Amino acid sequence: MDDFQKYIKENKALFDVHKADKSKLWANIEAGLNPQESKTKTIKLWSNPIFKVAATIVIALGVFSLINIIIVGGVKQNSQNNLALQELNDINSHYKGLVAYHVKLVNKNSQLSSQEKKEFLSFMDELDLEYELLKVELQKNLDSERILEAIVINYKKRIELIENLLSHINNSKKMDNDDMYTL
Amino acid sequence: METNILYTHKSLVEKSKLGDRNSQYKLYELYVDAMYNVSMRMMHIKEDAEDVVQDSFIEAFNNLSSFRYESTFGSWLKRIVINKSINQLKKKKIPVVPIENQMYHIKEDTETMPLETDIKIIIKGIDLLPSGYRQIINLYLVEGYDHVEISEILGISASTSKSQYHRAKKKLIEIVKTL
Repeated sequence: MDDFQKYIKENKALFDVHKADKSKLWANIEAGLNPQESKTKTIKLWSNPIFKVAATIVIALGVFSLINIIIVGGVKQNSQNNLALQELNDINSHYKGLVAYHVKLVNKNSQLSSQEKKEFLSFMDELDLEYELLKVELQKNLDSERILEAIVINYKKRIELIENLLSHINNSKKMDNDDMYTL
Repeated sequence: METNILYTHKSLVEKSKLGDRNSQYKLYELYVDAMYNVSMRMMHIKEDAEDVVQDSFIEAFNNLSSFRYESTFGSWLKRIVINKSINQLKKKKIPVVPIENQMYHIKEDTETMPLETDIKIIIKGIDLLPSGYRQIINLYLVEGYDHVEISEILGISASTSKSQYHRAKKKLIEIVKTL
């Protein structure tokens, strides 16, 4: 190294005469940098064949269990539905007979005016409509137990209605008889 | 101690490797002026120098994982700046390597730079050199690369670098004397 070289080296700082426009340059640099997230190392698990096998097994198990759940769930739902329908049939066969019997009694009763019969039958029709609605609800299987209960209540109301009517008729009969008697 | 120099700003470098923007900015702040001056000496045009500095920092930060403390961060970064500058000059078809056959005969290296010449005059003299000579003078004298390193940077042989440097120096002395 000659004197000239040494001289330059000693005064190297003097060669740095320029000042960079820091903020302007940084703005451009930052725009070109990788996004910060992607700087974090990603470990490619799937490049390992063991993980490929593991992933396949996991996926297969997942699909299998999903299918299983759907099928078993479907069967369960079906059996539940069947149970509810069976119960409905039992209720129907029991109460329908009772209602029909009572309606027949009312119809046979000669002491009722046609007006009273009409009124009574319109009540019965209303309850019939309610019953149809409940049946539809039951098929939707929202809460079969409560719906079945509602159906039973519906039937009981009809029978109660008929019984009230009949007892009313009987009372009036007695009254008539009493009148006759006093007369 | 010598090995410790390699690990200057190690924590900043390590955080920057993980993509920490603050650390990257701190490193940038520490080195931007030096790198800008390196680039200015090579490119001579403000806009070109700025482009080179920007590209160099982007490349440096995006490829920081390949920096393994084989040199200091500063010299690693400077090498990127130098290489980018050379590539830019080549693209612009500005001769990077001096013309081999000069019109004038080169005498023996007898002339020496008058000592205590004002550095500012020397800088001015370097600016006035033909671009090929200027690169060699800058790389050898100012940036402090040896002829082997210069041969790698410029893609010439080390002996060519040596002879070109001597020619460049002679030319520089001639110019400085006229100033």
